Parts: sequence; C-alpha cells; structure tokens
Amino acid sequence: METLTYLLQGFDVATRPANLLVALFGAFVGTIVGLLPGLGPINGVALLLPLAFALGLPPETALILLAAVYLGCEYGGRISAILLNVPGDAAAVMTTLDGYPLARQGKAGIALSLSAVSSFIGSIIATCGVVLFAPLLAKWAVAFGPAEYFVLMIFAIACLGGMVGDKPVKTLMAALIGLALATVGVDSTTGVYRFTFGSVSLSDGIQFVIVVIGFFSVSEVLLMLEKTHNGQKAVKASGRLLFNFKEFCFTFWTMVRSAVAGFVIGTLPGAGATIASAMTYMTEKRMAGNSGKFGEGDLRGLAAPEAANNASACGSLIPMLTLGVPGSGTTAVMIGALTLYNITPGPLLFEQQPDVVWGLIASLFIGNVILLVMNIPLVGLFSRMLSVPNWVLVPAITVISMVGVYAVHSTTFDLVLMILLGVFGYILRKLDFPLSAVILGFVLGELMEDNLRRALSISAGDLGILWSSPITLILWALVVLMLSLPGLRWWRARKARIAHA
Amino acid sequence: MYVRLFSAIWLLLCIWLAFVAWGFQAPFAYDPVGPRAYPLLLLGLMGAGALWLIIKPGLMEQQLHIPTLKRSAMCVLVLLAYALTFEPLGFVLSTCVAVFLLGLLFTGRPVPCLISAVLMGILLFLLFDYLLDVPLPLGVLEAYVEG
Repeated sequence: METLTYLLQGFDVATRPANLLVALFGAFVGTIVGLLPGLGPINGVALLLPLAFALGLPPETALILLAAVYLGCEYGGRISAILLNVPGDAAAVMTTLDGYPLARQGKAGIALSLSAVSSFIGSIIATCGVVLFAPLLAKWAVAFGPAEYFVLMIFAIACLGGMVGDKPVKTLMAALIGLALATVGVDSTTGVYRFTFGSVSLSDGIQFVIVVIGFFSVSEVLLMLEKTHNGQKAVKASGRLLFNFKEFCFTFWTMVRSAVAGFVIGTLPGAGATIASAMTYMTEKRMAGNSGKFGEGDLRGLAAPEAANNASACGSLIPMLTLGVPGSGTTAVMIGALTLYNITPGPLLFEQQPDVVWGLIASLFIGNVILLVMNIPLVGLFSRMLSVPNWVLVPAITVISMVGVYAVHSTTFDLVLMILLGVFGYILRKLDFPLSAVILGFVLGELMEDNLRRALSISAGDLGILWSSPITLILWALVVLMLSLPGLRWWRARKARIAHA
Repeated sequence: MYVRLFSAIWLLLCIWLAFVAWGFQAPFAYDPVGPRAYPLLLLGLMGAGALWLIIKPGLMEQQLHIPTLKRSAMCVLVLLAYALTFEPLGFVLSTCVAVFLLGLLFTGRPVPCLISAVLMGILLFLLFDYLLDVPLPLGVLEAYVEG
C-alpha cells in the first residue's frame, strides 16, 4: 500500500511537463543511438550525461533522461539487427539470428512491430518487478555495514568474471584496471596524493565523464575507422506492417518467460542484457525442439531476446537503486551521474530521495509507452537513419564528446586525457578485454576502498570482520561459486572432448 | 602474441607503480589501513593477472594490418590536434578543421566534407553555446563577437 502511494507520487514527478519532454527526447535520441551500429546504451548515456549536467537539470530529470536513453537504445538495437543484419548494440546480436531472415522473407514489417511489442512487454514486466522488489531489497539492505558492502562489491566483480564467459582472467584484469584508475587523486581519508605525479589537474582524481567518454566514444571512433563498411543495403520494410493476432498469441508466452528470465539475470550485479538475451534465446530454442525453425526466421527467436534484453535493462536498475552497485555497464554510468549530483545511491536513497527513485520508476512506465507508440509508426524514419554516412556521423560523435568533456572543467588537459584514455581503451578492446568491466571497476573503486577502510577502522585493523556476519559469509560463498563457474565450464568442455575422442 | 606483449608491459608498469605507491605515507595514522595498502593490493592482483596472461595468453591470432594502423595513427593525431587547438583557436575554427579532416579519413569526398565541417562548426556552436548554455571558447574569433 505504501508502495502504491509512492508510485503515485512518482507519477506526479514523471508527468511534469519538463520531465515528459525530457523522456520523449531521451527516448528518441536513445532509439537513434541504439540503432546506429557500434553505438550502444553506454555511448548514448555517456554522450548525454555531461550535457544533462551542464544544462543544470535537477537530478530526477537527469536520471529520467538517462533512463529513457537506456531504454530507447534497447528498442533501437533491434532495427539495424533486423534490417541490416548488424546488431545496433551488443544485446541485439541474438536478434539478428532470426530477425534478418524474417526481413529477407519480406516480413520486415512484422518483425519490427512484433519485436517492438516484445520489448514493451519485457520492459513492463520488469518494471513491475522493480516496483515490487526494489523497496523490499532496500529495506533489507539497510542492514548492510561497510564489511558487507565490501564483500558485495567483490561479488559484483566476481559475477562479471564468472558470467562473461570465456575470458575470466581478462575480465577480472579489466575490472582491476578500473579499480586502479579510481585510486588516482587525493586519498579522501588521509589527504595523501596518489599517482598524481605532481599534476594539479589529477589531484581530485580522473573525472568520471572523461573516463566514460574516452573509453566509449573515442575508442569507438577508432574502431569504426577499421570497418568503414559502405554500401550495405538495408532491407526495405514492405508488405504487412503489423503482426496479426495469431502471431501475437504464438509468441506471447515466449515473451513472458523471457521477460521474467531477463529480469532475474538483470538484477544480478555485473550480468547484463547481452547474457540475458543469449540465455533466453538458447532456452527457447531448446524448448521448441524440432518444431521450431530457429535461425531461419522463427518469430519466437525474435521475441525472446528482445523481451529479455529490455527486461534485464530494467532489472539492472534494482541493484543500482537499492545497493548502489551497478547491474550493468550502463547503470554504472548512471551511478556516476548520480554522484555528480552528490547523491549516493544505496538503501537510504528510497527514504531520502523518494522523488528521484519513484520519479525514475514511474518514468520507466511512461517511457515505455512513448517508445512503443514512437517505434511502430516511425520505424521508416528510424531506418532511414541507417543511411547516414560515417563521414558525417563520426565527426559529429567526436565534436559532441569534446563538448561533453569540456563542459566539466573547461581545460585542455581534460581533452587530451580523454583522447589518451580512448587510445588505451581501443588497445584494450583490440586485445579482447571487456571495457564494461573497466567502467564497473572505476565506479566501484572509491566505494570499495572506503568501505574496506571503514570496516577495518571499526574492527581496529582485524581482518576477521570481513567474514564475521552471516551476510558476508553467504556473499563469500556466492563469490566462490561465481569464480568456480569458468573452471567448471572448462572442465565440462574437456570431459566432452575426451569423450568425443 | 600481442596479449603477451601487453601483459609484459603492464607487469613492468605495475612493478614501477608499486614502487611509487610504497612512498604513500600519511603524516598521522588516521585509520589502521593507511593510504598505500589498497593500491598495493590492486597492483599485486593486477601483476598476478598479467603474469597469468604472459604464460597463458589464450587463443587470439590477430595480424596487424599496416594501412589500418596508419589510418588509426592519423586519426589519433587529428583528435589530439583538435584537443590542443580547442581553446587557442576556439570551438568554431578547430571544429571545422577537425570535422573536415575526420570526414576525409572516413572516406568522405572533399567538398561534402567541407560543407559538413562549416555547418557543424557554426550550428553546433550556436546549439551548445546559446541554446543549451554550455560555454565554449571563442578563441581567435573573440575579437569579432561582442560579449
């Protein structure tokens, strides 16, 4: 009941004209950023974050903007996946498998409208999940002390290493690089300058915006340089533009199942939309058995990943809002945005900033409706965006990135630092280190050190406090489980190989 | 191969940074941990990871492609030049130059690139500086524009 009151209050915030306008704008920009191949939600959020800050938007409005962009990207990614066979963002990889064959069969209109509805159902189910579970978790999370937080963050990083598949060492290294980058600057407890090498500009640390834009926009520009693919023609959306009732019924349960699964995966810290869409696709394929024609244009193969990636995008807001630990790379950026406003996400956020939290949740509902309404009729307009040539697109991204970084401190040093970080990020990407892990580490870095030191101050230096309470013990057990996953997979693969030989 | 090279460099960097971090001493002990334990912990873990990758770099056969490498280097140079001229030349001029050069790098034809460069330089300045209230440097154009 209490939740309902808060939710109404949230709708009150979200339906203010300024916030509605911002949600509309964010949804539009997000869809475009999402559908452009290579640019994903992190890029979209990273480009708009400094602008939101420079414009002096109040925190709830800024967060609504970023959330709308995030959702919009998940909607937009499918457009290029279906029409071009190029995933607009990483989470849409699975959508290409059945979406593109459908488009080739002349069913592009059906595929686009059905996937828009899948995205919508995915997001709505997950948003309801957020409404139900976030306040509960927040109440529970108040019991977390510094030691529990520290172990929780270790769990988030371990999740990343365990879930992101085939390269756990590289993933963990990437997270460590992020953590280490966060130690640059003055130490908040003792005032000692660390790794600043006498530079005044580094004394308060590397600014979050610079890291995000450098790693994601600049390195993206360099990557795009490698594949200046020209002349790939998008499939024209022709024929029937809307799916019929039978097709909807055929895929409905797939959507619901995938949405629930995507939501659960999304709430795990570290595991994001990409994993959710891959897992649900595989599950649906297995469930359909021989009756499905997955890979050749099965509608269920289209509905499952789309519902799942949107659901996990919403689900990843739960750990961010209740624990202050990001559930995905994009929510890591959003946490950074909140800290720019001096708001620390965590269990107390629900009590201290109900406008921000519930305004955001309500705006998820509104944003989804906007996106659904926008996406079905405007698909023609969006698909035309795919033909914007790179020689216009890339300079535009560059200029906006520069302005974004310049808006923070107005120094040339920041601009140069951004480019150097971009080159570093590009090298990391070429060597197959996941950059979202670096960002996650960077966001967690300061929190992690603070909590560790606070915990050890409480216990006067006794390390035992890190595994003294039941919560910490459970978390450590989960950490061990997560870290043993890659080993388990490796062992099973080896056994299969031996059995095969 | 490249992973090995990178890890080796990273390992050396970690060792050097560990030496730097060893010198972090607080004049008073505010807390039992102090400012240097945590960075040293991270550097140690990173060093261990780098060692692992030197021994087992994993499968990744990737050949460097020299023309691509050249273009990437050019792109980085243009970006750096853009960053360094951003304040002295001002937003409008430096943007025009950078957009034009980047457009050429991304296989645009000269005339359309020039047009997009001039348009972007002026329109984005108006958009950001006047409409969105993000202050941008005018640079050499300062003399011609009244406060």
